Amino acid sequence: MTPQTRQLPIPALLAALVAVLACVPALTAAQAGADARRPVPAASTGAAEAPASGTAEPPGVLVSRQLAEFQDLRVGDIVRLATDARGSNARTFRIAGIYEPTPNPARLGQPAREMRLHLPDLLDLTRAPGVPAGTEHVETVTVTLEDPADAARFSADVNARLPGVLAQPATEAAGSAGPFLILERFHLAIAVVTIVAATVFLLALTVMLVDERRETVGILRLIGLPARRILVQILIEGLLVASVGAAFGLALAVASERLINGFFQWRYDTALVFVRITRDVALTCISIAVPLGAAATVLASWALLRRNGLRLARR
Amino acid sequence: MNAVGFAWRSLVRQPARAALGVLGVAAVGALLFDMLLLSQGLVVSMRDILDRTGWDVRVTATDDLPGQGPRVERAADVLRAVRVLAEVRAAVAVRFAQAEVDRAGAEPVQVQFQGVDGAPLWTITVGSDVSRDREIVIDEGLASMLGIRPGGSLVLRASCGSGDESLPPVRLAVSGIADFPFAATSQRNVAGTMATLAAACGGNTGPEANMVLAASAGDPAATAAAIEAAVPAVRAATNEEVLGRIQRAGFSYFQQISAVLTSVTLAFAVLLITVLLTVSVNQRLGEIAALRALGLSRTRVVKDVLAESALIVGVGGACSLPLGWLLAGWLDAILTRIPGLPADLHFFVFEPSALLIHVSLLAATAVIAALYPMRVVSRLPIAATLRNEVLG
Repeated sequence: MTPQTRQLPIPALLAALVAVLACVPALTAAQAGADARRPVPAASTGAAEAPASGTAEPPGVLVSRQLAEFQDLRVGDIVRLATDARGSNARTFRIAGIYEPTPNPARLGQPAREMRLHLPDLLDLTRAPGVPAGTEHVETVTVTLEDPADAARFSADVNARLPGVLAQPATEAAGSAGPFLILERFHLAIAVVTIVAATVFLLALTVMLVDERRETVGILRLIGLPARRILVQILIEGLLVASVGAAFGLALAVASERLINGFFQWRYDTALVFVRITRDVALTCISIAVPLGAAATVLASWALLRRNGLRLARR
Repeated sequence: MNAVGFAWRSLVRQPARAALGVLGVAAVGALLFDMLLLSQGLVVSMRDILDRTGWDVRVTATDDLPGQGPRVERAADVLRAVRVLAEVRAAVAVRFAQAEVDRAGAEPVQVQFQGVDGAPLWTITVGSDVSRDREIVIDEGLASMLGIRPGGSLVLRASCGSGDESLPPVRLAVSGIADFPFAATSQRNVAGTMATLAAACGGNTGPEANMVLAASAGDPAATAAAIEAAVPAVRAATNEEVLGRIQRAGFSYFQQISAVLTSVTLAFAVLLITVLLTVSVNQRLGEIAALRALGLSRTRVVKDVLAESALIVGVGGACSLPLGWLLAGWLDAILTRIPGLPADLHFFVFEPSALLIHVSLLAATAVIAALYPMRVVSRLPIAATLRNEVLG
């Protein structure tokens, strides 16, 4: 092998680096969302639906997938539920279905071993001795409005009419989102640091790329091409390389999306989505990576183009 | 001139390129250093808080984290049974309740009321500790908010039941201001005896406690086993076991993200230095061939390349430590705003082992990145290179 054949594929490296630039924000800007995977069973029930009374069959309950796997429970199994470990006042129920719980980011790492009962069944089970039926309390009443846009007005109305009750639109009640907003800021900060580091790399690479073309640029200047014309050519080349790199980075991010989600969903036994490459995330990545790649190329070439053609060509 | 001196001159000849290389390694090294601090930071910080309290066994009703599961029933009996064990030096029962403190002309302040049956779990900073019932200590934030100092009093409404009680307000004397080790930044705290809490709740506390804390006389694991043997209805966990539960409950997320970013940053560093050295070597092939022709050995020119890599990584790595420290402070300030975390908890905690791993990883990076350019230099055909140099 002769020395001349050992040229580094710098444009390819530039493209790879721009790809990293495009990929990193996509991976780090994504946050743990609350999107459920497709539910395992076709079972759904309203908490306050009437129990299946009047028949000999025990009332039905739904069991979370995690609890079903943990206890090896199946649809149709008969289970006994009690409110204490001694099993006092236990009642019999039949498993009507197994469901995938709505993922709760605030309970990451805690398997959702839970059941859903009809509210009257739950109250019968948990009512303390001496407490008359109908005087129990519930933690929350969830209301579905005909027009969701009325949520704020409806909440204010309920608060005014029912002292001692706090009504909130669902969006405001999701207080547990707080930690995830902070995690989003943390991911953003990491993305900024990574982009700064990648930019330094990009500059180092473009400086070397330009340095390797010193003689070519010098000859182009000597045969009469103006500096502006060469700069445009370099800019177009930089844009092309950056675009290819950004596209490759996005493709890498999309390809790794399923892998990362699959790993964390397996690790935490949850249906939470950890990484999601949305259209906005993709556009943000491209809008950062392409101009940055092109600007680095032009910046590195600028000093070179200001030099005399003879000096560049070493003649 | 030795290899390091020669490598230094090679770098100085290309100041822009060398500076960018060092800057790149410094930025990547800073991120790497931070990820190493993050990987164990939470666990180290939480262990420090747990150990500082002096209680090394936590007794709860279930395997849930303390304060998150059901309360320990018949707490007085459990406390008595724990205290008589030879393995236990001291024990205290703790009960938490939510309360509101009245403020003249303003919304009431939400506070957490800690009632203890035994030694206090707080450190007095101003005034004195509680010495009788209906006396409390408060945290500095609440004292500032209410403008109360030791000797003053406040009116409080506690709720120990389901939260739908409507209890009469109780006036309590403030004996001191205290630090609470597990208090969250945004949380205001009040503490007193279990009897004071019962009085504030109108006697509606029930024979329950959120947990019983024990200080072991010797081995915490043996103490935990002895407690579970004496009271089979409870679970006793050492600080290490509590840390394990906390890690399972979500702390490991930061370890995973730290591992991913550590791999990415190292790959970045290897890529950058490999490219820098290879281009640098490619541009000096003629010069290197001439040196070989003059008598420099193959080993010597390989050493030059390795020294160049070591210098870039060494200088960049040294710069990365202060840079990483500043960056860690910024990132820690972001993460510690997560509501509900103890104010003393930190995500980025320095440990000598982190520095050792950082140095080892950067050293490995310097060697790996230099492998390809070293191979190029070692296999350089002297005569052909010089001929091409002359013809070129």
